[in-house]
Amino acid sequence: MAALRAAGAALLRPRPGPAPAALGYHKKVVDHYENPRNVGSLDRNAKNVGTGLVGAPACGDVMKLQVEVDENGKIVDARFKTFGCGSAIASSSLATEWVKGKTVDEALKIKNTDIAKELCLPPVKLHCSMLAEDAIKAALADYKLKQESNRESDKKADNA
Amino acid sequence: YRRGAMRAVLRARLGWALRGAALGRAPGPPCWSCGAALPAGDGPRFCLGCQALQPPAPRPDLFRLMDCDRSFRIDAQRLQQRFRSLQRAVHPDRFGQRPPKEQYYSEQHSSLINKAYQILLNPLSRGLYLLELSGVEPVQETDCDADSAFLMEIMEINEKLAEAKNENSLEEIETLIKVKQEELTKEVTAAFERDDLQEAKKLLAKMKYFANLEDKLKAKKIPS
Repeated sequence: MAALRAAGAALLRPRPGPAPAALGYHKKVVDHYENPRNVGSLDRNAKNVGTGLVGAPACGDVMKLQVEVDENGKIVDARFKTFGCGSAIASSSLATEWVKGKTVDEALKIKNTDIAKELCLPPVKLHCSMLAEDAIKAALADYKLKQESNRESDKKADNA
Repeated sequence: YRRGAMRAVLRARLGWALRGAALGRAPGPPCWSCGAALPAGDGPRFCLGCQALQPPAPRPDLFRLMDCDRSFRIDAQRLQQRFRSLQRAVHPDRFGQRPPKEQYYSEQHSSLINKAYQILLNPLSRGLYLLELSGVEPVQETDCDADSAFLMEIMEINEKLAEAKNENSLEEIETLIKVKQEELTKEVTAAFERDDLQEAKKLLAKMKYFANLEDKLKAKKIPS
C-alpha cells in the first residue's frame, strides 16, 4: 500500500515545467530531452579541457559545454550541463554528439542553423541553438587560450 | 438609484473624474453609451451622465493607473491599497445586471488592474517596465551573456537545486536566492536613481536568472 502511494505521489509530482511533448516539440527534441547524450562534467582545470559557459539573459537559461582534446587536436570527449527548456537541452546534447571526433577547427564550423535544422526547431526556439553554438565556440576558445598560455609558460621555462 | 449613488461615492472617493480634467489632458472619445463627453483620468472611468463604465485606454501608463510615481522605488502598501480600491470599483460581480458591453469592460479593467499590480509589485518586472517606458531596448532572446564568474554561480546554484533531496537543502537554497535578489534589488534601485539605465538593464538580466531559479525551486517544493 505504501509503495502504491509512493508511486502515485511520483506520478502526481509535477516536473519542473510542462513535459516537452505536451508543448508540441519535435520528436527529435523529445528524444534528446528524455535521453540526453553526454551529460556531465570534465575536469575544468585540465589543460586539454575547454569549458564554455553561456547564458541567455532573456530567459535565464544557462548552458555549460566542455570538450577534451587529444594531442592531435581532435575532440575525444564532450560533456554538457544545461538548465533550460527542452530545446536548449536538446541543442546542447546534439552539440556534444557532433563535436566528438572532430578537430577543433572542424568543430568551429558547426552552425546554429545546422542544429536547428536537425532538431526541427521552430523559429521561436532558434535562440536555443544559437546558445549551443556559442557554447561550442566558448569551449574551444577556452581550450585555445589554455594551449597558448601553456606554450608561453613552456617558452619561459626554456629561456630560464 | 442606489447603484448610481454608490458609484458616485466611489468616484468621489477615488477622485479620478476631476483630477485628470484639471490637468487639462486632451479629451478622448465620448461615452460609448450616451455620447456625452467624458472626464479625463488614469483609472477606470464612468460617464458622468449615464454612469456607464468606459473601456480601458489602449496602452495605459501602469504607474499612472496605479497612482504611483514613475520610479523604481515603490510604496508597496500604497500600491496594494490602490489595487484593492480599483478592483472594488470595477469587479465583474458588480456588473452582473449591467449591459453585456459594460460586463465585458469590467472584466477588461479587472484583468488590466491585476496585471498592472503584478508588474509593479515585482522588482524584476517593474524594472523591465521602467526600461520599456524609457525607450531602452529590451534584452534580446538571441543575446548571449558571458560573464563567466556570474554564470558559474548560477550553474552551481542550479546544480545544488537539482541535487537537493531534503527540506533543509531546499531552504538553504531558497535563502541564498532571496539574499541575492535583495542585493540585486538594492543595486537596481541605485542604478535607476543615478539614471544609469544600461547598468539597470544589466542588473535586471542577472535578476532574471534568479527569478528562473526561484520558479524551479517553487516547482520542486510543491509536492511536499
